[in-house]
Amino acid sequence: MKTSLLGVKLSQDNHIVLARQQAREVAGLLGFDSHDQTRIATAVSEVARDILNHTGSGEIEFSVEGQEPEQLFIVLVKSKGIGISDIKSSVGKKERPLAGLDGIDAARRLMEQFQIEQEPDGRTTVTLRKRIPHSSSKTQLDLAKISSEIARRTPKDPVEEIRQQNLELVSVLEALRHREYELTTLNQELEDTNRGVVALYAELEERAEYLKKAHEIKSRSLSEMSHELRTPINSIIAITRILLDRTDGDLTEEQEKQLGFIKSASQNLSELINNLLDLSKIEAGKTKVQATHFEVRNLFGALRSMLKPLLYGQPVDLVFEDPDGIPTIFSDEGKVSQILRNLVSNAIKFTEHGEVRVSTFLMDETQTVTFGVFDSGIGIAPEHKDLIFEEFGQVEGPLQSRFKGTGLGLPLARKLAEMLGGTISCECRPEGGSVFWFTLPVQYGEVDLAKAEAPIRTELDTMRRSVLVVEDDPATLFAYEGYLRRTAFQVIPARSVAEARELLRSVRPAAIVLDILLPDGDGWGFLSEIKHDKGTMNIPVLICSVVDEPGKAMVLGAQDYCTKPIPKEWILEKLTNLVPAAKILVIDDDPAAQYVLKKVLTGTMYSVIEASDGEEGLRLAQEEQPDIICLDLIMPGMNGFETLRLLKLDPATSHIPVIIVTSKNLDEEERRQLGQGAISILQKEGVSRMAAMEKIKEALIRVPLK
Amino acid sequence: MERIPILRMGEFLLVTIQVDMHDRLAQALQDDLAERVVKDSAQGVLIDISSMEIVDSFMGRMIGTIAMICATLDAQTVVVGMRPAVAITLVELGIALEGVRTALNVDKGMELLVASRGKRSMA
Repeated sequence: MKTSLLGVKLSQDNHIVLARQQAREVAGLLGFDSHDQTRIATAVSEVARDILNHTGSGEIEFSVEGQEPEQLFIVLVKSKGIGISDIKSSVGKKERPLAGLDGIDAARRLMEQFQIEQEPDGRTTVTLRKRIPHSSSKTQLDLAKISSEIARRTPKDPVEEIRQQNLELVSVLEALRHREYELTTLNQELEDTNRGVVALYAELEERAEYLKKAHEIKSRSLSEMSHELRTPINSIIAITRILLDRTDGDLTEEQEKQLGFIKSASQNLSELINNLLDLSKIEAGKTKVQATHFEVRNLFGALRSMLKPLLYGQPVDLVFEDPDGIPTIFSDEGKVSQILRNLVSNAIKFTEHGEVRVSTFLMDETQTVTFGVFDSGIGIAPEHKDLIFEEFGQVEGPLQSRFKGTGLGLPLARKLAEMLGGTISCECRPEGGSVFWFTLPVQYGEVDLAKAEAPIRTELDTMRRSVLVVEDDPATLFAYEGYLRRTAFQVIPARSVAEARELLRSVRPAAIVLDILLPDGDGWGFLSEIKHDKGTMNIPVLICSVVDEPGKAMVLGAQDYCTKPIPKEWILEKLTNLVPAAKILVIDDDPAAQYVLKKVLTGTMYSVIEASDGEEGLRLAQEEQPDIICLDLIMPGMNGFETLRLLKLDPATSHIPVIIVTSKNLDEEERRQLGQGAISILQKEGVSRMAAMEKIKEALIRVPLK
Repeated sequence: MERIPILRMGEFLLVTIQVDMHDRLAQALQDDLAERVVKDSAQGVLIDISSMEIVDSFMGRMIGTIAMICATLDAQTVVVGMRPAVAITLVELGIALEGVRTALNVDKGMELLVASRGKRSMA
């Protein structure tokens, strides 16, 4: 039985030192005396040196063999490399073929048993044995203890450790250097890429700029060219018509046919140009939506008569289903009509027989109307669904080439629909043919339904100044109403010049807010109309428009000018300055009565001046020149009768209307006396204060203001 | 690389080996000592090996070589403080340390060197 105690590596000079030191340690622990320890250590040193010198590296194993008391200490020295050839024959002879094996020879003398073996591959094993003294034979347990004791004591070879650490450090440094190199390379690459990207960006920007310019030029030249083209084509059409009407003499049948071709060709051309013009207008943002209220039924009537002629000679029925339950639509009728016209004429074009049907559906939840244009024509392949909405995108096919369109109809329809907040899509019907869906919001713009639909039946609030606002855009109108809510001003809206003119006949507004771009003529004409009419020339006018021509506005007599969007503060300030509030002088000794009156008049055109007795009342009447005076009769000091008499005597105050507010029971004589100066007498008696105040309101309304 | 220190004491050099020398260190000591003997014109070299627990054949030969070199350079060599176990082992190994004079301790070694110098100067 063999128990291994320790292994030592041999690869360096100083390992020999380590090996012999450990040999001594182990020998000491196993109970060898000091002389034997030295012997063993020396033997190990000798063998280790020879093995290291001749083979380069190896290892040593210390172990114990046998049962106590007969135990052997064994030192096994193995060479890792090869190098000692024919070692067996060399050892122990006087005349050795191999020099430098003194150590192994010396070890033979120091140890009890010596054995040397050589593997076929040249590796050598030297085994040294020495009997352990009986007195100190070891049990298995003792050996285990010794083994762990040795492991504990084994000096860490500092040189080896440093060498190992150095090696590691070197390899780490090498790795770091390599990493650094890689990083540098990567950085370099990144920098190059970056430069490339920057250059690319610059190029892209340049391209974008160029494209933008090109697009602008395209749009401009398109709209200009279209105009240029339109004129001669219109002439051609007109002249062809003259010729066809036989105005210039009769035509032969052949000539008539030729003229017919010319006419239809130029009409096609004209249509193409119109579509082009519309498209470029939309792209240039020049197209405006002119929303009005209209009935779908009327629209269908117009479309039917417009599109019927297209069916000539084709066995196709054109059916407009009755738009039952479709509400009045607030949108741009012209554009809706154009869209439907495009869709229907397209459907007719690609339907040889059968029918083209137009239906309407109301989507309550989204507040939209969907128009469906069904045809029994050739249909659309799914892969062409997107193509047909592209400009000049046309599907190749026998029928398509027969009825060549401009290729602009559907793109134009889609653009128009988008302008109105709607969508257009198409699909194939399973029974053949196709259907185009056009979805349109019932209400154009973002104004809520009630507001935009509300007819102009605004109740005049007599306690507020009315401001006539002439504005066709519902959203802007809505904004004005918001601005002036809870102020002394009430908005009276008019959506067109005609409406405004109509309103001016029945209402005399305190001010007018006027837009310039209106659906039925411009605001300039209306402005000069107002300023030339004796009845309205004193009404201040504020021009609020996108048109930036303040000079023109002033010349025409407008009081002020502002370009949209109009700030709330601006309009409030201008109105307050141009239309001063009506002043009421309240002469009453009861502060509660004054407070209530003030409360009642908040948010109206009246502002209250307070006086607590007759003298103060007279002074304020002279200074402030109020529009109306409310006078209490029973007051300390100068009473109401005296105050009224003095007011009427003074030429500065005699014209001011006076309302008597009193709780005194007046007799006939007193009434007669007051009736000469006051326009109205209100009795506080028997009615609540609030009711009395309502009466004051009524009285105030009856008072004509300047 | 570590070195074994060589101290000068008047005309003599004192080498105290206090570590377990590995082979290269022994080689270095041999070279250093030869240098110093020449440089300092040393008359004798005292090598104290009292700390060495093991002297194997290589080291034994090394000490012998050092003694021979020093003798060639006209300096006496005395090895002092050898442990009994080391002496026994050396004998068992068959290494005689020829030409190396030994003494039990440094004092005795010194006496030996001084005496031999006196002898020489007399001669």
